[in-house]
Amino acid sequence: MAADPAAHRAPVDLPLPADLPLPVDLLLPAARGHVAAGEPVVAGERSAPARAALFLLAAAVLAGSLAAAVRIGTADVGWAGLARVLGARLGLDVTPPPPLVDSLVWDLRLPRVLMAALVGASLAVCGAVLQAVTRNALADPYLLGVSSGASAGAVTVVVLGVGASALGVTGGALAGALLAFGLLLLLLRRTGLDSTRIVLTGVVVGQLFTALTSLVLMASADADTTRAVTHWLLGSMAPARWDTVAACAVVTPLGLLVAWLCSNALDGLAFGTDTAASLGIGVRRTRLLLLVVTAVLTAVAVATVGAIGFVGLIVPHGVRFLVGPSHRVLLPYAALAGAVFLVWTDAVARVAFAPREIPVGVITALLGVPLFLLVLRRRGEL
Amino acid sequence: MRHPVRLGAALAGTLTLALAATGCGAKGTEAAAGTPAAETTVTSCGRQLSFAAPPKRAVTLDQTSTEILLELGLQDRMAGTANIKTKIPARYAAAYAKVPVIAPKIATGEQLRAATPDFVVAGSADLLTKDRAGTREELAALKVPAFVSAVGCPRRERAGASPFELLFSDYENLGKVFGAAPRAGRLAADQRAAVAKARKTAAETACGGGRPTVVYLYSVFNGMPYVAGGTGLPSEMSRIVGAKNAFDDVKEDWPEVSWEEVAKRNPDYIVIGDLSERGRPGDSAAEKRAALTEHPVVSKLAAVRDGRILEVPGIELDPSVRSVHALGLLAEGLKGAGHGR
Repeated sequence: MAADPAAHRAPVDLPLPADLPLPVDLLLPAARGHVAAGEPVVAGERSAPARAALFLLAAAVLAGSLAAAVRIGTADVGWAGLARVLGARLGLDVTPPPPLVDSLVWDLRLPRVLMAALVGASLAVCGAVLQAVTRNALADPYLLGVSSGASAGAVTVVVLGVGASALGVTGGALAGALLAFGLLLLLLRRTGLDSTRIVLTGVVVGQLFTALTSLVLMASADADTTRAVTHWLLGSMAPARWDTVAACAVVTPLGLLVAWLCSNALDGLAFGTDTAASLGIGVRRTRLLLLVVTAVLTAVAVATVGAIGFVGLIVPHGVRFLVGPSHRVLLPYAALAGAVFLVWTDAVARVAFAPREIPVGVITALLGVPLFLLVLRRRGEL
Repeated sequence: MRHPVRLGAALAGTLTLALAATGCGAKGTEAAAGTPAAETTVTSCGRQLSFAAPPKRAVTLDQTSTEILLELGLQDRMAGTANIKTKIPARYAAAYAKVPVIAPKIATGEQLRAATPDFVVAGSADLLTKDRAGTREELAALKVPAFVSAVGCPRRERAGASPFELLFSDYENLGKVFGAAPRAGRLAADQRAAVAKARKTAAETACGGGRPTVVYLYSVFNGMPYVAGGTGLPSEMSRIVGAKNAFDDVKEDWPEVSWEEVAKRNPDYIVIGDLSERGRPGDSAAEKRAALTEHPVVSKLAAVRDGRILEVPGIELDPSVRSVHALGLLAEGLKGAGHGR
């Protein structure tokens, strides 16, 4: 655990195999010969005050994005209206806004923007963690089948009405997600949580629950229900309310902290089991812990706002490109970048096709694909 | 083609609203002149709604609700409509033009709140969820009562009741809420009479030999037929006109079935829902007719060979203020054939 993260950027110090497979290559850009010269300055190499300033700047960008995004929506409230709502809510001496305008801003838009930030941070960090744990550049938070489980749970509640009153869609999705992850752990219980095995088992579990979702939809849903569920499956911030934001605001920071405390272990795992073990990392235990943390974070996110794609895949890669592969630096920046990315994509989803609102998952992919290609091109992968 | 018209209507609506706000429009209608009760209470889909005064800014969340309020002459008390699936009939066009469209498709919670309604009318409980316009609980907390049509209330709460009677109870309840009970009562009475007439036509022309079976072809999507199931309005329509919906055993409104299954049920009649106003592929009656005559198996069915195919406006096969029209067409269409097996 005591390895200096800086060591990973100096390939000569590490016993790496001669022919690096592509995934590792993507995950550790510093291991490539050509990268060393022309790469942007890795954040970890800066002095401590510079690092702090850079992080504060990123945090300020997030704060600015949150403020700007609250202003954007299908109904135009205006800065004055927003100020009145917030002023009245904070007990300041202002003319209270009409109750419906207050509700529009306070009950719908604020929780929605905050939820986008929390979910974005959560998905980006989960993606970064799973990419390291499975040593797979294509890993994303839904790799473990959690989102498929959530879909199956949500569809069971919505279409079949099983536990509709007790659980609701969110509860059903959460139950489904945890069930899928439980099944994954059950299937993996006798193995050493080998990275390939995790990926394959996750795919299998995901396929199973996807099939169950389709089965329920095809067998019993009518066209309107199917459309409503499809909208939900693509991911939408619209159902965000203060109660779900509160739940996420408790779980997400906790999960991110645990992941960040495992930074060194993640650095080791990204190089492979042998390297990690030689660094004194309890590979199986750490992997299990990280799988549980990411599964819970993803389950909470998916249960609330559906399976928003691409954030967990692209943001870690983009951030790794900017700040380097050391997880101690990567994870906090991934969290900030994920939050900013989702806050803005959700704002776009709200107004791009106004007065219609489109699922945010569509926008994350539309914007994510070109950004991802840009990153790959800049790094010389394309 | 439809979009500019709708935009024009929306603009006209906004203009009217602006005029009304400056005091140069809005004459009192019959409905507005109705006497408001001190405190009106109605039950809607399991919830009690109370009104100190008739609503002045109602928002309808779908076309069915919109048309009911327009039929009741309440356009001056409407602050917005949403989710228009097909053309508004010509007889409502002038009134409809006065009402702003808050969303052409399903309204979001923000759009609904921005319209500052004092009453919300939804044809289905599905429109009032967290990811759409917001739940009825949330709206109740904002002192905005939300009416859900008895027809669109989840199935378990309307077991056994005739969809037509549920529809008429909506008219009466909405009439009560808006202080327009006499007009709503007349509408319900007229439509009850239309149902009775269809029943009578069927009874008079029945010539023994049991009830003819009917398949209602609503749409053809990706080559698969969507037909009327046992829970929708066509099932009840069939009973009224002395026929039987061939897919009564499928407990859905519009299930997707296979052509083979349609052939197997071998219906005496096929009723095509003409959705050409909706204008998607496979929506027009001609396309559906073609699908029937071109299918290798279905084209051999007696109903297709002998041309026992009726066309009715598809939109009227879902419960709405226009549904009795389709019922009349159905009764007339089945009358002429006078056949029995």
